[in-house]
Amino acid sequence: MTFDNNAFLIILTGALIAISCGFLGVFLLLRKMSMTGDAISHAVLPGIVIGFFVSGSQRSLEVIIGAGLLGILSTLMIDALRKRAKVQLDASIGITFTLLFAIGIILINLFAYKVDLDQECVLYGEIAYLPIDLWITPSGINLGPRVTWLAGLNFFLVTGFIYLLFKELSLTSFDEHFSSAIGIPAKGVNLALMSMVSYTTVSSFESVGAILVVALLVVPPATGYLWTKSLIPLLRLTSALGILIAILGYYLAYWIDSSIAGMMVAVAGALFFGSALVKGKWTMGIRGTSKSSPAFDS
Amino acid sequence: MEDFLYFFTFQDPSITWVVLGITLLGIGSAYVGTFSFLDKKALLGDAISHAVLPGICVGFVLAGEKDPRYIVTGAFLSGALATFLSSWLKQHTKLSEDSIIASILSIFFGIGIVALTALQKSGNPEIAGLNSFIFGNAIGIAEADLFLYGGLSLAILIVLTLFLKEFRLMVFDPGFGNAIGFPMKGIRFIFNVLLILAVVIGIQAIGVVLMAALLITPGAAARFWTDRLQPLLLLAAFFSILSGILGTYVSFVVPQMPTGPWVVVFLSLIALISFIFSPKSGIIKRFIARRSYLNKTHRDHLMKALFKAKEVNKGRMTLKEIYGLYPFHKKEIAHSLQLLTKQGLVIQDSQGVQLSSQGTSDAMRIVRLHRLWEVYLNEFMNIAPDHVHESAEQMEHLLTPELEALLEQRLNYPTLDPHQETIPRESHDI
Amino acid sequence: MITQVSQPVLEVHDLTVSYDQHPVLWNVDLSLPAGQLIGILGPNGAGKSTLIKSIMGLIQPTSGYIKIFDKPLAEVRSRISYVPQRESVDWNFPASVLDVVVMGTYGKLGLFRRPGKKEVQIAQDALDQVGMMAFSKRQISELSGGQQQRVFIARALAQQADLYLMDEPFAGVDMATETAIFQLLQDMARAGKTVLVVHHDIHSAMNFFEWCIMLNLHLVASGPKDQVMTEELLRKTYGGKLNLLTQVTDLIRKQDFNPLKS
Repeated sequence: MTFDNNAFLIILTGALIAISCGFLGVFLLLRKMSMTGDAISHAVLPGIVIGFFVSGSQRSLEVIIGAGLLGILSTLMIDALRKRAKVQLDASIGITFTLLFAIGIILINLFAYKVDLDQECVLYGEIAYLPIDLWITPSGINLGPRVTWLAGLNFFLVTGFIYLLFKELSLTSFDEHFSSAIGIPAKGVNLALMSMVSYTTVSSFESVGAILVVALLVVPPATGYLWTKSLIPLLRLTSALGILIAILGYYLAYWIDSSIAGMMVAVAGALFFGSALVKGKWTMGIRGTSKSSPAFDS
Repeated sequence: MEDFLYFFTFQDPSITWVVLGITLLGIGSAYVGTFSFLDKKALLGDAISHAVLPGICVGFVLAGEKDPRYIVTGAFLSGALATFLSSWLKQHTKLSEDSIIASILSIFFGIGIVALTALQKSGNPEIAGLNSFIFGNAIGIAEADLFLYGGLSLAILIVLTLFLKEFRLMVFDPGFGNAIGFPMKGIRFIFNVLLILAVVIGIQAIGVVLMAALLITPGAAARFWTDRLQPLLLLAAFFSILSGILGTYVSFVVPQMPTGPWVVVFLSLIALISFIFSPKSGIIKRFIARRSYLNKTHRDHLMKALFKAKEVNKGRMTLKEIYGLYPFHKKEIAHSLQLLTKQGLVIQDSQGVQLSSQGTSDAMRIVRLHRLWEVYLNEFMNIAPDHVHESAEQMEHLLTPELEALLEQRLNYPTLDPHQETIPRESHDI
Repeated sequence: MITQVSQPVLEVHDLTVSYDQHPVLWNVDLSLPAGQLIGILGPNGAGKSTLIKSIMGLIQPTSGYIKIFDKPLAEVRSRISYVPQRESVDWNFPASVLDVVVMGTYGKLGLFRRPGKKEVQIAQDALDQVGMMAFSKRQISELSGGQQQRVFIARALAQQADLYLMDEPFAGVDMATETAIFQLLQDMARAGKTVLVVHHDIHSAMNFFEWCIMLNLHLVASGPKDQVMTEELLRKTYGGKLNLLTQVTDLIRKQDFNPLKS
């Protein structure tokens, strides 16, 4: 097991993606929108296909824009199903993402002559190839793996987003009514968050695939939530978990000779279940009957 | 056209088998899924369908080939484990339900992918078939397998039908069920078993990701049409079968198209149509009702205007005067006048428009309702006289004769409204 | 018995609010004076919460309008503070008491800016006023009902507004906390703030409020406490729903749409 340049690049990329997803995922968790995040990562498929079709390339701005638009569209669809058609939330999510994903698959088949999108690649990507896919400038300078740069850009944008809108995100996650009352647009913040999720999904699918993106969106934040009760420590813990997952995932995959992305998920899962075992309350019914369980009586 | 006939007359036995397969799979999923949907646990099915993948791989490894018995068992155990873990996490940690389901879903599925890619590397040619579990391949279902899956589907249907009232209790009021001595925990367990089975057989046709649609969308669509459980289930099953057949047809006509996504598209289309056209959700109904209500109010306003003209002894109004009351609405006015004439409420002649005797009576009623409501708002709800008009403008079209009688009684047959205008009654009414 | 005020701090004009296709508040017309502690009273389902939410712009009225400081809501948001019902929030959220109170300063901060020393100071002063300084680092999931309520009020104080709207701030709160909070609200009113409180208990209402609004699907009364808390008006408010109005509401509910919506 060597720690060579390739390993470093792969782990770095994995870690960057894990941290970006983790940051966004913390807010999804707090808003009880983890499944919506999962849904969006499926729903972006048509956007990717159309973007590919329009631009002729899998790695284009059009693909990212297509995905972003689909992310917004799916959020709006879920909302419309709930408010107008009065369909319950879980069913709205299910109907929306399956329809959009189905349309995506159909489009892939329809455009097969122009869009060479391997269905499997979309789902689980292949991060192992990234060292060979290099970004070489016209003057011949090798800047390193293209995907790493993409992950870096994603990381930078997500971190910037969270930093700039931190108070808006935390307030709307905690108390939507109050935020509307003081003039912070809860709906707009929500759409912005979902757009970032779509962008992150599509930016990462080439290297880690949609499956790992979902796992990274959901599992490290959930794991962190079992350990800490405060928001900033939760964010920190989630990123630490992300780095750990990237490192362990790489080496374990190397050892067993399997997909790195898949291994990262397995590591995330092990950390999650391990934490649940350790931190779970071993007495039944800790939730009690009242919504907030008071520790003191004043 | 020939394709259509060829398909739907089932001359080709392979088509028949596929359609039969899809039908059986679809009914089972629709039934179980509808219960999940009513239970507000629709996405649990989605999680289970992702979670069976590791089990499928293990089953394959143990069997050495794509033996459905091993695969179904493996998938089942995997799904059962996922379900168990979900409940455990719900009870023993403070994680919210959506977070638990999403985590289980992605972890199990990820592990499944690890197993799958490892198997692919092993070079076993049978592997190719495994991929169909992720994306579904209705056409690829072998005839032999069909008996197994069909049998399981039938079993699901039978159990659900036999224990309909128990499952209904489970969804709507488990507390009550416990209170009257039903073993609700056992019932929940059986239901989970059925759900996992339905998922395991369903993903053959439609694949892991889209399985949720087969579970949720038929029930959601059927819900727009009825509130009652049995019709709901039957309708959901029907939608599922219909979409299955249509999807298979598309796949047949355009060979490179996979079946699963088209089934989902048709299901969603049916859901959309149900939403728009069903009388219960009433989009169309609401639209029509609102339109006819607005037309009625327009006619009422015309009659009121004519009545008021009569009150100041004008007798009739010219068309020009009427158009002047509602500028830019000539077409609507003409239409309303036409209908009023037909109903015998107004009489139109060369000199203008006037109310017939029936029309006078009706118009009087509207004006009376308006002024009575104004009195009510003013006296019973303490609303100032200058704020009662708008509300009365709307209520005058709505109040029924019973409410009118109640109003009269409550207000003690007042003679004047808050604006000192007379409340008109026919002489025989008092 | 509806007393109108010239130069009101809050003016509600002919407000009808619908929920789920039928009206729940009919033609409410009132105006309120500044610098008073005002109670909104009425039985369950009378529309008290609906009124507050409409004032805060969380619900769109079917007809009528509301003016605050003689302007529409959008222009004066920074001068109004809102305390929602306690159960509208998940108290398991990972935040400390201080975190929540600092949220009160977000409105004035605007987009993108981060709360700094000044905002934290405002929050701490607010916590001091409600007697929760000692708890500022405590996680909100560990608080009792009364403490949670005090945190919500501290957050409202941190908004440094002129008009305060509170939705059932005393629900599920112990006597000691209730008295303490009422004391605080009275101090605020004396300092010139206007405080509007949805309340459920007539007896404490009689002791604490200066002005009362009585609702029962419509406005029964609005005016100084002594003039409004009469036996007759109390009976009108709490003595059951107006039969006729209920029947009319049912009639509207049976329609496929809301005819009162233009």
